[in-house]
Amino acid sequence: MAVETGTFGAVLAGSGVGALRLEQLRKTFTRGDETVVAVEDVEFEVEPGEFITLLGPSGCGKTTTLRMVAGFEQPTGGHVWLDGRVLDKVPPQKRPMAMVFQSFALFPHMTVADNIAYGLQMKKLSRSETEEAVNLALTSMNLAGLGSRSPHELSGGQQQRVALARALVVQPTLLLFDEPLSNLDAKLRGSMRAEIRSIQQRLGITSLFVTHDQNEAMSLSDRIVVMNKGRIEQVGTAGEIYLRPASVFVADFVGRANFLEVSPQRVENGKAAVHAFGRDVVAECHDDVRAGEASYIVVRPESVSLTASSDPADGTVLNSVFYGTTAEYEIETITGTLIASEPSPDPERTLAAGTHVRVELDASRSYVLRKS
Amino acid sequence: MIVAVAISVAVVVLGSLIPLAMVLKTAFSSEALPRYGEFVTSRTDLTILRNTLVLGALVGACGTAIGFLFAFVQTRLDVPFKRILHVIALVPIVSPPFAIATATIVLYGRSGIITNGLLGLEYDIYGLDGLVFVLSLSFFPVAYLSLLGMMRALDPALEEAAMDMSASRWRIFRTVQLPLLAPGLAGGVLLLFVEALADLANPLVLGGDYTVLASRAYLAVTGEFDTTSAAVYSVILLAPAVAMFMAQRYWLSGKVRTTVTGKPTGSVHLIRGWARWPIAGAAFLVAVVILSLYATVIIGGFTEVFGVNNTLTLRHFREVLFGQGQEAVTDTALLAVIATPIAGLLGVVIAWLVVRQLRATASWLDFIGTLGIAVPGTVYGIGYVLAYRTDLTIGPFTLLPNLVGGTAVFGGALAIVLSYVIRSMPAGQRTAVGALAQLHPSIEQASADLGASQATTFRRITLPLIRPALLTGLCYSFARCMTTVSTVVFLITPETKIITSQILNASNNGRYGVAFAYCTVLTVLVLIGFGAIRLLLGSTAALNRVASKTSTG
Repeated sequence: MAVETGTFGAVLAGSGVGALRLEQLRKTFTRGDETVVAVEDVEFEVEPGEFITLLGPSGCGKTTTLRMVAGFEQPTGGHVWLDGRVLDKVPPQKRPMAMVFQSFALFPHMTVADNIAYGLQMKKLSRSETEEAVNLALTSMNLAGLGSRSPHELSGGQQQRVALARALVVQPTLLLFDEPLSNLDAKLRGSMRAEIRSIQQRLGITSLFVTHDQNEAMSLSDRIVVMNKGRIEQVGTAGEIYLRPASVFVADFVGRANFLEVSPQRVENGKAAVHAFGRDVVAECHDDVRAGEASYIVVRPESVSLTASSDPADGTVLNSVFYGTTAEYEIETITGTLIASEPSPDPERTLAAGTHVRVELDASRSYVLRKS
Repeated sequence: MIVAVAISVAVVVLGSLIPLAMVLKTAFSSEALPRYGEFVTSRTDLTILRNTLVLGALVGACGTAIGFLFAFVQTRLDVPFKRILHVIALVPIVSPPFAIATATIVLYGRSGIITNGLLGLEYDIYGLDGLVFVLSLSFFPVAYLSLLGMMRALDPALEEAAMDMSASRWRIFRTVQLPLLAPGLAGGVLLLFVEALADLANPLVLGGDYTVLASRAYLAVTGEFDTTSAAVYSVILLAPAVAMFMAQRYWLSGKVRTTVTGKPTGSVHLIRGWARWPIAGAAFLVAVVILSLYATVIIGGFTEVFGVNNTLTLRHFREVLFGQGQEAVTDTALLAVIATPIAGLLGVVIAWLVVRQLRATASWLDFIGTLGIAVPGTVYGIGYVLAYRTDLTIGPFTLLPNLVGGTAVFGGALAIVLSYVIRSMPAGQRTAVGALAQLHPSIEQASADLGASQATTFRRITLPLIRPALLTGLCYSFARCMTTVSTVVFLITPETKIITSQILNASNNGRYGVAFAYCTVLTVLVLIGFGAIRLLLGSTAALNRVASKTSTG
């Protein structure tokens, strides 16, 4: 499924730089008598050519934020800036951006080619120019020969590519994605993910992507904006949000985590010394961690290593499952239940339920957070 | 968009709000207030009120029962000829309102072909029994269609689940289907109640001594020239009609969606036991009665005096098509052709405004648009008379010349078109609201996102996608324009004649042959109209595969 974007990229020459800035965005809805705050204090910048993902559970305000950028919702407060221009008064049809919708939103009464041509017709391109651009889009998106089909005659993946082609062909300065992969099956989702990333990187279009799927966010994005309850929890690269989560929410939402209650003995140079399983552990910590205050040490399951040992033992295996790539364990310890994940396990030697084990934490991949 | 709103508002204000306001103003003027005292103490008036409510309740119950019977046979029984049954059930929708009434008199009246000729009875059909019979048969298709839709949408998995728990068919019907359909049944009863309340034509033809509010108000205007009393009767008629109509809408909108959800899975298990025969038999019996009535309409038009002198003749049709009736036929067709597209487009525009554009004011606009169906036609007719009998002036300026009466502009045609538009718009509005609500907003947003203006989006995306609904709406509108009688009887002038009021006259004068010929011609015209609408708008593009509703985060 190689995508030829070299020629397609040429069509796109002339797009704006696409520097996006959200300033103090706020959105409230009135539901009956009460006011519901959907988005509050959302502020971040997207560099030209950058791929940013808004990640969060449903109802966290990520879609509302995206729709305010697109102009489908009016912000209650704050501004959207694009290339130094404030977009408050610009209606959606005048904004130099294109959106790929969750439902694809292909016009069901038009052919694939008509769908792709639609935006170009709005730009008043000549018939021959339009036709040329549509044909180019069809070939570069692996849709050659499907131009005269109806959208509903296509597979899910093909519909997705038509939606993408329709958005790309108008040469947007900013590309918006509203959970575009959630309507595809798991296998297709993986390959579409790779396709979207490679096209975006080759064309260098600034992109804003919304999803609740952390794998999508991590595999696609330059940076991820984690949102919860209408607010931003953290902005950072995949590595940052995974290994140095800014809040308990982020640590819990992105990947799986063990939260062990600790009380740091010392905090210096961004590191905290804590006591866990009778051993001293020094791990990186968040800015607001203070010595002596209730905190958590966040340990990812793959950073927990187990060795069978009855004396001294830290816990007992409650449950063990062999998954092939990993073996997963639940361990009962004095500080609560712990999950551990062993990479490349030997099926003959997985630890059976009831085994007494010693627990080792990888301090370099652990992080200390204040218990809020 | 501003133009669309302005035109919609102007038509609705002129055609609906001003006449209704005039009715209310007259009904609550100082001159009218003593009439209420007389009303509650007058034995005659109270009897009229009771007559009206009893008629509404009986028609609501009988009509809904027949509608349910037909829907049940259609969706749950394994019997032959279901398709024919469906078509027969739809005939009353496209036929003029008193085709059935007139045919009933001829077949089942005092000297009826069946009651007297065949059975030798001296049966007096005039009055409550005749009215319930005729109105139930005329209006049951409305209940049938809505129940049919609901029963088709019922998830068969629910029945399968009940079967799984070893419930009998009867028990499933009683404990699963009936409760789920209860809102639909209640809605049907209420809707038919309103229709029966509002009906003017049948009580005039078949009522005899059984007077109802609508016919009493009509008499007050046309016989006694007492518009004050007419306004008072109108208000007394308006209150229950609008209340019931709103109750019905609330009931259906609030409950059905929560009970009938999800994509139906599994398949319906048709009843194959002996029990299907008596149920189907009852439905076919009703169908035979309907057929006998329409056969009478057709045959009656081609015979001298059907049942008395069965000589074949083209006399009646000659009178209708080339004689006295010609004017009425061309006038009616012309005015309906003018009104239908206006009504259809307005309905779509209002639906679009309601569903997409105005969230806060939407329910009000929807309500005002739907008044055309909720308010009895008689009330509108009286309102038009009150509002437009004289020139509408402010100071020395004439805003509007008089639209109603002998000296009206265009011979009253303007008022008739206006009333057609108002009375038939809700049909299109409802189907369009339904279609738009199904259309996911992201489709239109995608268009805006690609740079299309609001008008372009409406023209290139929205309109083509709701075309099937528009088509249905236009057909309904046209049929309603052609067959409506209760408003236009107040608006006809010597210059402008309308078929339905001609039928009314012919029927009342006992010239049944002519009445039948008019009915046949009218029905044929309606069917031609359907064909023309289909031809103009192209065959239906199915609204399939429109992006399904998906939740957003």
